[in-house]
Amino acid sequence: MSDPTKTPNRLVLPRRRLLKSTAIGAAALGFGRSLPALAQDEPAKPDEIIVRAWGGVWVDSLDAGVSQGFTEATGIAVRHDLTEDNELQPRIWAAVAQGRTPPIHVNWDTTTNATKSALRGVCEDLGDLANLEGLFPAAAPIGLDGFPIVNVYSYVYVLAYRDEVFPDGPPTSWNAMLEPRFRGRVALYDDGIGFHPVAQIAGGGTLEQIPDDMEPAWAWLERLREQEPLLGEDPDFTNWFQTGEIDLACTIISNAREARLNGIAVSWTVPEEGCKVDTDALWVPRGLPENETYWAKQYVDYALSAEAQQTWCNGLGLPPMRPGLTPPEDLAGDPAYPDSPEDFDRLIAVPTPILVEHESDWFARFNEIMQS
Amino acid sequence: MPSTRSFRYPLTWRLLDLAEEARRLLWPARWRRAVPYGLLLPAILLVGVIVAGLGYMADYSLRELDRSTFLLAEEYSLANFRTIAERPVYLRILWRSLLAAVIVTAICLVLAFPYAYMMVRTASPWARKALLIGLFLPFFIGQVVRAYGWLIVLGQQGLLNSALGWLGLGSVDVIYSYPGVLIGLVQYMLPFAVLMLAPAITAIPEDMELASQGLGARWPATLWHVVLPMAKPGLVAAGVVVFTITLTDFAIPEILGGGTTDFIANAIYDGFFAISDAGLGSALAVMLVALASFLVAVIFALVGVGTLGYVAERSR
Repeated sequence: MSDPTKTPNRLVLPRRRLLKSTAIGAAALGFGRSLPALAQDEPAKPDEIIVRAWGGVWVDSLDAGVSQGFTEATGIAVRHDLTEDNELQPRIWAAVAQGRTPPIHVNWDTTTNATKSALRGVCEDLGDLANLEGLFPAAAPIGLDGFPIVNVYSYVYVLAYRDEVFPDGPPTSWNAMLEPRFRGRVALYDDGIGFHPVAQIAGGGTLEQIPDDMEPAWAWLERLREQEPLLGEDPDFTNWFQTGEIDLACTIISNAREARLNGIAVSWTVPEEGCKVDTDALWVPRGLPENETYWAKQYVDYALSAEAQQTWCNGLGLPPMRPGLTPPEDLAGDPAYPDSPEDFDRLIAVPTPILVEHESDWFARFNEIMQS
Repeated sequence: MPSTRSFRYPLTWRLLDLAEEARRLLWPARWRRAVPYGLLLPAILLVGVIVAGLGYMADYSLRELDRSTFLLAEEYSLANFRTIAERPVYLRILWRSLLAAVIVTAICLVLAFPYAYMMVRTASPWARKALLIGLFLPFFIGQVVRAYGWLIVLGQQGLLNSALGWLGLGSVDVIYSYPGVLIGLVQYMLPFAVLMLAPAITAIPEDMELASQGLGARWPATLWHVVLPMAKPGLVAAGVVVFTITLTDFAIPEILGGGTTDFIANAIYDGFFAISDAGLGSALAVMLVALASFLVAVIFALVGVGTLGYVAERSR
């Protein structure tokens, strides 16, 4: 059996297994299970808890799907801290190292970043949360003991495009980004996240070569550099489509969908090379007062409930970690909203341990190319 | 007949005497020599905090990140500095930052001098007020907001391209490029340069210019031989301020550079936050501080610290 930490794999087999277990899991959970019955001796409630989130559609969906319901159930207000995950991470690390109270109660983070925090030992154990039961196996972190973090949904880095530049149908390959007419009008994430494995395939390489031989990816990115791409963060993509700066972008489907919901004629596709699929996670930092740790964990538990996952993930347009939920109408059957083994067959997953170990080197190489 | 009533010592005087006595007890005369040092205390504290921070940075810069635990190694090494030396991207970014600092400084000095001169010398109070408003207004608007303002002006659907389109001249791509970053930096730094130059020009007696012209010099000759040499302290101070702030700027390249025009500060940010490597970020920061300090020292060595007035003070 191959070691999943050594080579990238597709999430086909785990998904098949989890789809089979969906009915059993949902039945066991009673489907609508949210907060567990609270004991009489529950710890004192804080006035509020602070949850780090991304802005725009991200925080709106979290608020509607999780935070409001949590407040209704517990009476604890939820404040969202929109500090970038990368910026907050060292502050949490420093707080834990110095024995200070961390600045937030719950961190909504990429799984790669969350795994780094878990490796550093700053995460509370979430293994006793009742709503872990019945989740897809992909909810469990890879390469870590127990549940210092919990993955909450999957997302796909799609090829988003302006409808008017592809009147005959969507582009079929990532190589569309190299067409001369798109010079200065393509966009990527500024750290190359979501793009390395795609560039590897588009450059003629194979997934099995990752991470040992990424030369095809770098060669392809050097060709893309000649197109003078724009590099940005989540809100930039929506903004750039809106202001007519770009025609094509590699971005998370939620951003493209948000642009479309804002009235911009933008669509997305999964090209023949595939798209990278990844997950985001929730975790609770160590060093909080005991009662606040308890309620922060209750927030995470509620976020994993069926009702919270349904609203939160539908708002984002992302497949949740709890099986049996209803996809948003506009995304049903969309290959960029993977909810079947066939959908995952077209997607590319790189195991988190590989991302954690090599992300810095990939970023350095990506930066070397893009700053040239 | 003269009054025989004795003089009554006013209450306020008595209170003042008490206050003076209390001051004498709290701060005896023999401590008077410590007063200047006491006044220096806030500055010492401020610099002390910065030096302490730099000390931590220097310490971190000598520790390599362990990617199995994401903690910095206990033992010291030069690994982070080796990484910087081995990756050409850092040299490229450094060169880009330095070149921008030189270009922006030169442009700002050329533009700031006439502005400051007019602001100081104009006879019209309305013109002076308008120029002062023009100088201080940008300080009320943050750097980030101003950078976004340029996006609106220079973007694909911005004012410039709308105007060009209306004239049938097509569109230009200025934003998200090196020239776009330079434009943003010049606009950001220009008020600093004017603010540093204005006091220097104010200190030049107008009589000197009149005397020069009275002796037959035309205005350009007066400018070249009288005004500019006497404004040298202001030019040097403005140049140093603009150069160092430009060299270390983060927001303008971040917002107007489109991700492919990073400066050193952006690389430091990436080290700390994008790749969670405080060691590499610190090494880059230490390098930037050392470079900026060295360049400022070179400038002072070339033009002399006396340009800032210290020599004149000492020679009195």
